[in-house]
Amino acid sequence: MFEAQEVNAEHKDLIHDVAYDFYGERMATCSSDQYVKVWDQNSEGKWNLTSSWKAHSGSVWKVTWAHPEFGQVLATCSFDRTAAVWEELVGETPGPGERGTRHWVRRTNLVDSRTSVTDVKFGPRTQGLQLATCSADGVIRIYEAPDVMNLSQWTLQHEIQCKLSCSCLTWNPSLSKNHPLMLAVGSDDTNLSAGGKVFIYEYSDNIRRWIKTDTIASVTDPVHDIAFSPNLGRSFHLLAIATKDVRIISLAPIPDNANTQSGLNKLDIQTAAQFDDHGCMVWRVCWNITGTILASSGDDGCVRMFKMNYINAWKPVAVLKGDGSHISNEGHRSSVSSAASLPTPPMAAVSQTARYIKLGTISQSREAPWH
Amino acid sequence: MDATLKTFIIPNELCRRAGIVGTWVRVNELGVFPSQHIKTTNSDSVSLYGPSDASVFNVRQQVVLFEPILRKLVNEANGIFLSVQELMGSNVPDYKSELLKLSRQYRSIIRACLENLQEETVRAKATYKEELQNYITIFYSVECIWHLCEILFVENIPGGIVLPHLLEWVRFHFPKYERNAASLLREDVIGAELQPCYWETVIGSLMQGRIELVQALLEVHSSADGKPFQLAIQTLRTMPLYNIYGGISVSEFNLKWKHWVLDTQSKIEAKMFSSERHLNLVMRLAVGDEVAWGEMQTHREPWYAFLAASLFFKEPTVKAFELGQFARQCIAKVGGAVKMRHLDQVLLASMELDIIQVIKEIQQMSENGWFVSHLVDLLYHAGRLEGLYSDETKVIGSRLRESFLLDYGTLLMGHHSLWQVGLNYLDHCPTEGLSTIELLLPALPLKSEARTQKIIREAHKRDMPQIVQSICKVHTMDSISKGRLGNALTWGLKSQDGGFTSLIADKFLRKYKETGVLLNEDLLDNLGSSMLISDRLIFLGKYFEFHKEYRLKNYKEAANILISLLASKLTPRYFWDTLLCDAINLLENNVMVISSTDTYTLLHSLEEKCELPELKDKIDLIRLGAARNLSRALLYEMQLDKKYT
Repeated sequence: MFEAQEVNAEHKDLIHDVAYDFYGERMATCSSDQYVKVWDQNSEGKWNLTSSWKAHSGSVWKVTWAHPEFGQVLATCSFDRTAAVWEELVGETPGPGERGTRHWVRRTNLVDSRTSVTDVKFGPRTQGLQLATCSADGVIRIYEAPDVMNLSQWTLQHEIQCKLSCSCLTWNPSLSKNHPLMLAVGSDDTNLSAGGKVFIYEYSDNIRRWIKTDTIASVTDPVHDIAFSPNLGRSFHLLAIATKDVRIISLAPIPDNANTQSGLNKLDIQTAAQFDDHGCMVWRVCWNITGTILASSGDDGCVRMFKMNYINAWKPVAVLKGDGSHISNEGHRSSVSSAASLPTPPMAAVSQTARYIKLGTISQSREAPWH
Repeated sequence: MDATLKTFIIPNELCRRAGIVGTWVRVNELGVFPSQHIKTTNSDSVSLYGPSDASVFNVRQQVVLFEPILRKLVNEANGIFLSVQELMGSNVPDYKSELLKLSRQYRSIIRACLENLQEETVRAKATYKEELQNYITIFYSVECIWHLCEILFVENIPGGIVLPHLLEWVRFHFPKYERNAASLLREDVIGAELQPCYWETVIGSLMQGRIELVQALLEVHSSADGKPFQLAIQTLRTMPLYNIYGGISVSEFNLKWKHWVLDTQSKIEAKMFSSERHLNLVMRLAVGDEVAWGEMQTHREPWYAFLAASLFFKEPTVKAFELGQFARQCIAKVGGAVKMRHLDQVLLASMELDIIQVIKEIQQMSENGWFVSHLVDLLYHAGRLEGLYSDETKVIGSRLRESFLLDYGTLLMGHHSLWQVGLNYLDHCPTEGLSTIELLLPALPLKSEARTQKIIREAHKRDMPQIVQSICKVHTMDSISKGRLGNALTWGLKSQDGGFTSLIADKFLRKYKETGVLLNEDLLDNLGSSMLISDRLIFLGKYFEFHKEYRLKNYKEAANILISLLASKLTPRYFWDTLLCDAINLLENNVMVISSTDTYTLLHSLEEKCELPELKDKIDLIRLGAARNLSRALLYEMQLDKKYT
C-alpha cells in the first residue's frame, strides 16, 4: 500500500529537519553537520541535490520555506544562536536544467538571541514576509522584511518574553476578519509545577502588540513540537501538540467577548483528541495539506498517522517503522520506469528515474478503515 | 494499541537505531528520515550515530487509480457522477428510475474496464500480468457488489419480490452455463449428453432458474423421445413461475405452486424418472427435495449462487427483507462462516440490508475509494442513507457522503493530470469542498504557463481571486529571479495588486538607472489603462512615453510629459536626479520647448530636491540651463504678447 524512494541525504550526521516547498517539488534538509542542502525533483520524480552549503557554526535545528510569492527563500535556525534567511540566485548563463546555475546567498543573519534558536517559521502569506523565531532562553521574536524585493533588510518588530525555555512555535494559518494573527509556542521545560507548556499569543491591531491570550493548562509535560492545522473554514482552530502523548486541541473564539482594550476574543479551549499510541515521548507533529491526517513521531521509533472521520472523531490509520533487518532484495524492488525490460545499468545513481521500493508490513491483519 | 493497524517498514538500519520523523510532502506523500530529538538544553555535539549515512525516504501511497489502464474508468465515472449531481439538482419527478439507469452506467464502465484489463492481461509480461490480474479481482468484486446493491438499494422492486433480480444477478456473474448451453444447442447433434458438460449444464441452468433452457437441453438428449424425458419436459413446462404482473396474488400463486410440487413429487415417487439417474436428480431438485439439495451443497458454486437457486425452488416469493436470514442459513449449510472471503462478507451484509456494514467493508477494497465514493453518493441520492445507525449513533448521510467525496477528490488532486477531475468531486462537497479547493488548488505545481492558465481559470470559476493573485505573484517572482522583467510585469499586472506591481515598476526604473536602457518597450507601450493599478507604474509608463516622444524628436510633447512628471509627485526618490538631468537636454534644446511657467515648476522641484547627494555635481548645470531657458522663454513670450496687443 505504500512505496518509498530512498534519497541519500549525504549529511554527515542525523538530519534534524526536512522541509518541502509549497509544491512539494523541492526539499531542504539540515543536520548537526551544520550544512543545509536543497534537493529538486526532476520530471521523472527523482530527487537530485542542487545546493549544499555550510549554513551555521552549530547544529542546524530547523529549516523552512517561505511562500513562493516571496521567491525561493529559506530560513534556518541553529545552536549558534542565530537564525538566517537565504535566497536562491539564478545565474545569468543557463546551465544544465532550465533554471540555470544556482546558489543560495545569506540575505540576513538574525543575531538578537543570546541562546540557541530552537525554531523558525514564516508567517501567513497574506501578512507579507514575517518571520518568528523562538529561543532556549524563552524569547519569541517577530521580524519583518518591509520590502519583499529586498530580503537583506529585516526589522525586529516584536520581542516577547515567554519566561520558560521555548522549543517550538507555529503560526495559525487561518486568517480572516474574525481571526487576528495567532501564534502558539511550546516549552520543553521539564518542571511540571511550572504549569501549562503551550502559550497562545495574538496580535492586537488596536494596541499593535502581541498579547498572551491563553495558556493551555492541560499540557504540563515538556512540549517538543506544535502545529496549527490548516483551516477548512471552520470557526475553531486545531492545534496538534507533541508532548508525552499526541494531543489535538481545539481553540474556539468566544464571540461577543472581546477585551475592550485589545479587541481580542477569549478562547474556548478543549482537548479534541489524545493518543498515547507511541507509549513514550512524542517529538514531532505534522499536518497534511488539508489538515485531515496528522503524522506524529515518537521515541518508539514510529511515525503514526491519525485521521479525522466524518463525525470529527480521530482514529489511528497507519504506522511507519524503521527496520533494517530485512532490507528488501532486488526482487522486492520495482521500478516505476516502463523500460524495466531494457538492460539497465546496475548503478542506481546513473538512472534519472525514481526507484520506489514497496514497503513491507509486519502485521498481517487487515488495514483499518479510514473512516 | 489498535491491533488491526498496519505497520509499514522503512528498510533502513539507521532509521531503526535512531528513530524516525515524518513530514508531509503533499497530498499522499510523506518524507521520513532518521532523526533523534535533541533537547534545547543539551550541548551541541556529534550524535551517537554520526558520522552516518542518513537517507530521506519519500513514502507515498500506492494509488491503483493512477495506473494508465484505469484512467478511463476514473474519467468516465466522473462523467456519470456529474450526471447524478445534475439529475438531483434538476427536480425530475421520476428521478429514481433515472438513478437506476445511472447506476447501470457505472456498472457498464466497470465491465468495460474489466474487458480492457482482460485484453491487456493476455499481452502483458509476468509481473505486470500479476498486477493486472489483481485489478481484475478487485473490479470484478466491485461490479458484483455494486450489482447486488443496485438491486437491493437502488432499484424499486414492485412488491419487494426480489428473486427474479437475484437470479439475474447470479446469471450475470456465472455465465458459464448459459454459454455451454448455447453451444450444446447450436451444434444440434444427436446425443448431446455425450458432451462431458451436458448434465452439469442442465443442472447449472436449473439452479439459475432457466427452466425453458433446461427443457430445450433435455430435448437434445438422444433419448428425448423416451417417456421419462417427455414427462419431465412436460412437467417443467407446467411449473408455475411467479410474476408480479401475472395477475395473481402471492397466496394464489403459493397454492398453485404447492399443487405442482405435490403432483411432481408423486411422479418421482412413482419412479417415473428413475430409469434416468440425472433426470431424476433434476426433478427432485425442482421440487426442493432436501436430500437432493444436500448433494448439491458440495457443488463448486459459491453460497450466493446456491442461495438464489434454493430460493427459486423453495421460496419463490421471498421478500428483500427476508433475504438476510436465508443467506445466513445458506452459509451455514455450505460450510459455515469460516471460509468467508471479503467479498462474501460484503454480499452477506448487503443481503442483510446493513448499508453501514457494506460501506465499512467496501472501504478496504484497495481501489482507493473509487467504489465507496461513487456508491455512497448514489445511495445518498437514492435516500438510502437516512435513519441509519452506526455504533448506536445516528449517521448523518450528507456528512458521510461528503467525507468520502472529499477524500476521493483530494486523492485525485494529488495527481499531475487528474486534478481537474478531483475538482469536480470537491465542488459537490457542500460544507468543506470549497475550502479544500482553496488549500489544494494553489499548491498545484505550476509546471508550465498553459497549466498555470488552467489553474487560474479554475480559480476564477470558483470566485477565488486571492488564489489567482497568489499564483500570479509566484510567477512574477520566478520571472524576476530569471531576469525576465517583462514577463514579471505581465504576471504582476495580472495579480491586480497595486503595491506589488509598484515593486516591479521599481525594478524597471532601477535597471534603467543602472544601464540607461528601458526594458520591454513594446510592453510598456501597450500598458494602456492597466497602468492605473499603481502610481509607480503610471510613472514608469509616462516616463517611457517621454522617451518615445524625445526619440521621435517631438521635443515639445516630451517636455510637457517631463514637466507633468516633475509636478506630479509620482516620482520615486531615487529617480529625481535622472528626471532632472533629463531636463537639461530639453532646456538646452535649439528650439525653445519649455515655457516660463514650466521652467518655474522645474526650478521649484529642483530647489525642493537640492539636498539630494546624487544631484550635487549636476545642480549647477541644471540651474544654468533653467536660467538660460527662462530668459529665452520670457523674451519669446513677451514678443508674443506684443504681437497680440
